[in-house]
Amino acid sequence: MKVNKKMKTSALAGAALLSLQALPASADQEYLLTITRPGHLQVIDMSTNEVVRTCDVPGKFGTGSIAPSPDGKIAYVLSNMTEDVYGFDIQTCDITFHAAQSQGNVRVKTHQSITVSADGKELYTVQNPVRHLPDRFEVMEPQLAVYNTADGTDAKPVRTFPVDRRITKIAATEKGEVILGGADIKAIDVNSGEVRMVTALQSWDRGPEWLPPDAFAMHSQGEQSNEYIMPYVTAKFQDDTMNMETAEWWWGISRVDLATGEAVRQEIIPFEFIVFNFISDPRDPNIFYGSFNTLSKHDITTGETLALYEMPHTYYDLNISADGKTIYVGGTSSDISIHSSDTLEKIGSIQLSGDMSTSDLRVATIRD
Amino acid sequence: MALTTHNKKRVPLAGPALALAVMAAPALAATEAGEELIRNNCLACHSDTGNSETPFSRISEQRKTPEGWLMTINRMQELRGAQISTEDKRALVQYLADHQGLAPSEAEPYRYLLEQDTNLVESGVDEGLGQMCARCHSAARFSLQRRTEDEWKRLVGFHMGQFPTIELHSLARDRAWYDIAQNQTAVELGNKFPLITPEWNSWKAAPKADLTGRWRVLGYVPGKGEFTAWMDASKSETGYQLSLEGQYSDGSALSGKGSARVYTGYEWRAAIEIDGVKMRQVMAADAEGSVMDGRMFNTEAREIGGELMAVRDQGQPAVVAVLPAHLKLGESAELTIVGQNLDGDVSLGDGVEIEKVIARDGDSIRVLAKASGAAGARTVSVGDASKDQALAVYDSLARVEVTPANALSRIGGNGGEMAKVRTVYRAVGYAAGADGQPGTDDDLRLGYMPATWSIAPADEVAAHDKDEKYAGAIDASGIFTPGDAGPNPERKMSANNVGRLTVVGSVSDGGNDVTGEGSLLVAPQDFVRRVLD
Ligand code: HEC
Ligand code: HEC
Repeated sequence: MKVNKKMKTSALAGAALLSLQALPASADQEYLLTITRPGHLQVIDMSTNEVVRTCDVPGKFGTGSIAPSPDGKIAYVLSNMTEDVYGFDIQTCDITFHAAQSQGNVRVKTHQSITVSADGKELYTVQNPVRHLPDRFEVMEPQLAVYNTADGTDAKPVRTFPVDRRITKIAATEKGEVILGGADIKAIDVNSGEVRMVTALQSWDRGPEWLPPDAFAMHSQGEQSNEYIMPYVTAKFQDDTMNMETAEWWWGISRVDLATGEAVRQEIIPFEFIVFNFISDPRDPNIFYGSFNTLSKHDITTGETLALYEMPHTYYDLNISADGKTIYVGGTSSDISIHSSDTLEKIGSIQLSGDMSTSDLRVATIRD
Repeated sequence: MALTTHNKKRVPLAGPALALAVMAAPALAATEAGEELIRNNCLACHSDTGNSETPFSRISEQRKTPEGWLMTINRMQELRGAQISTEDKRALVQYLADHQGLAPSEAEPYRYLLEQDTNLVESGVDEGLGQMCARCHSAARFSLQRRTEDEWKRLVGFHMGQFPTIELHSLARDRAWYDIAQNQTAVELGNKFPLITPEWNSWKAAPKADLTGRWRVLGYVPGKGEFTAWMDASKSETGYQLSLEGQYSDGSALSGKGSARVYTGYEWRAAIEIDGVKMRQVMAADAEGSVMDGRMFNTEAREIGGELMAVRDQGQPAVVAVLPAHLKLGESAELTIVGQNLDGDVSLGDGVEIEKVIARDGDSIRVLAKASGAAGARTVSVGDASKDQALAVYDSLARVEVTPANALSRIGGNGGEMAKVRTVYRAVGYAAGADGQPGTDDDLRLGYMPATWSIAPADEVAAHDKDEKYAGAIDASGIFTPGDAGPNPERKMSANNVGRLTVVGSVSDGGNDVTGEGSLLVAPQDFVRRVLD
């Protein structure tokens, strides 16, 4: 069945070649997931680079945040202006899960923050509630909400714990924690609610020679290496006068190993151009790729830019195949640009039915 | 604007007493009618507090301009679902601005927002407030409001609920934005811009002038030039009916009709069609109702406008202005004294000889004059009427100031939904003053002067990107028109036609060219209608 389908769709010679090569290496099936406007979950077979399914997402477009289940079968999607989470069976488009986070007069928004536990049984979101009273809005404290993924289409949180404000991307570790990416990177124990510091960013104490970093993650970065990457920009000053003119500007990252919950923070490359998302090569943790107006490849041990490809327009995010060979660059517009990780040359493209805007570009792997 | 001494003396005697008599009776009725309007339109969501000082929840704890109230009521309709008839809405804005408005001195520093000069780049904004609050809209937007501390806090709540990602933007995510906004900014604003102020208390109690009458008007229409006119304001049910007749400095006529409303006793807002072009006037009247000052602009393109000033004809002679307002020593030049009920001997001040009276009537006197003696400001008088510093006599033009000094244009058009935002430039001349040094406090302002205009790249980067070629062009009358919207394949990475330019105005002074510079940012379209909104 799988093979049949592949044979039929070899319009693009390059794509067909890729798929044939991929076949003997592993029978794991990788799907690239993204959301397009006005509200479609696009399921792309990464062996053929074809859209195999387009699922209708109920509700008004949110930000296109996606969290695949660890078995790769369910994609959780943030929709309805970032208030609702829907779970889709990516092989049938059936909706298996729905949580309407807003209840009564409390409007709940989630800034990208959704993730699934390593065993697939729990879904985590960070909720930012505001109570809408008849003539005023009352801002409430954010919280981590825990849902049972088995609770179906009227799911309610089974536990909640207070968390910081300004949390965007989150990721579950294999140790029963959720990594919270905000001003600092913290981890919360999903059972006790206990929070620990993973990497101090805004509250780092590196003296007056380092500018407090501007850290921000809209998208999931590093999932194919089982890590969570939070990029930041900082400046190293010549002395303690904090002179911006003579400062060295750097891209840095905090990378959290999702198997252990351990993190490393380091400056990786000089700030020469804007990169919106970084991913690491699953084969080599020192090789990074970045996207925005350019697709770039870096060796973070030397800070060298190994290759640079000027993109025809802005692409917010990127992802990579498990074998590390193929890079998918997407977001913003309606095309996903496919590149060789070796040279960064463009080797293909996938046209979608609508703009991806700020949507995630994620990989769901259904293992053999 | 300076009054004639005569006006200053007369008005306080008769004006307030009369106005008081007229205003006192309807005031109570207006309050009742206004409260009734609020009850009918707002109490589905807002509540009666039972406190007569602040009878309506939220609504009674803030004061703002008519534009401020309009913005709030628009939001009540568009986002909160309030159903309000057009008639009630007008009456609500009128009532709220009248009863919970700003005193003239409170609005004064931020009139540029009311005057809708959309090119203007704000200056002097407190850095903290600027980053917290003036990165999406002007600082004038909140500086033109007065609230209790709790109301400033609820405003933060509104922003958080309405714009949930507000704390994640650049310049917000690098700090505990919400905590700072709630616990520092709102408190600071509560101190800086509190609900109850002595200024408002005294303005509230002050008699309000009737602005009916004939007004001597001086203005500027970009592309056409300066004009003088008479504007008649007669009472209508909601304000004033207007008719305007006058001429531009080149002698061509202008004429228009329209209507005006006055809010808070001094905020003049008129819609007037002048020779087929829809214009708006935004002026503030002085306490006596003798002088109004502000801006008139094109309704469809708010950036196309100029200063506007009006002096009421109170049956007494008055010198309003001299055009042009400068005369070079030793040169013969034509000057026009603009005024009303002008009668009697004409004097242009010490050492200024009137070589010939070319034409005169009660409204204006055209003369040929020649100056001698010392450089400096002169008092101009006609019979009993006089105006100090009406004419600047100068030796040489020492410097030229280009206005606006810092401006913003926006690319647009090209089939897109956003029109281009142009910038109107004018040149103001200065003589060096007694110390002979231009750029010092004693410089003598010579007024607007005709200039030739050009643009240049702002710096090396702009020059390398050829911003002067792509970002737009300036015409002979000083109107800068930015480039088309959309990617430009001729530019690197098909960039759009944005750029950073220096605008150069060059004024010729006896064979010498004196130049001034303004800095202009040509920015992308603003889909959220920012800057001065
Ligand atoms: C359908 C419900 C509803 C109606 C009707 C309504 N309001 Fe509101 N009003 C709200 C809500 C909700 C808020 C808080 C959110 C906001 O500021 O938009 C609010 C806030 C306000 C505020 C505070 C705004 C600020 O900037 O802090 C003012 C003032 C106000 N309303 C005035 C009015 C007036 C005047 C009317 C009647 C003409 C009115 N409202 C009718 C729901 C309503
Ligand atoms: C993310 C952009 C953003 C930031 C930051 C922001 N504002 Fe606003 N603000 C808006 C927008 C948009 C509106 C218009 C709401 C409407 O349509 O009525 C607004 C409206 C307002 C109004 C008018 C409300 C009324 O009805 O009278 C005030 C006053 C104001 N803001 C003050 C502030 C202050 C004070 C801060 C800082 C604490 C701030 N703003 C920060 C976007 C912003």
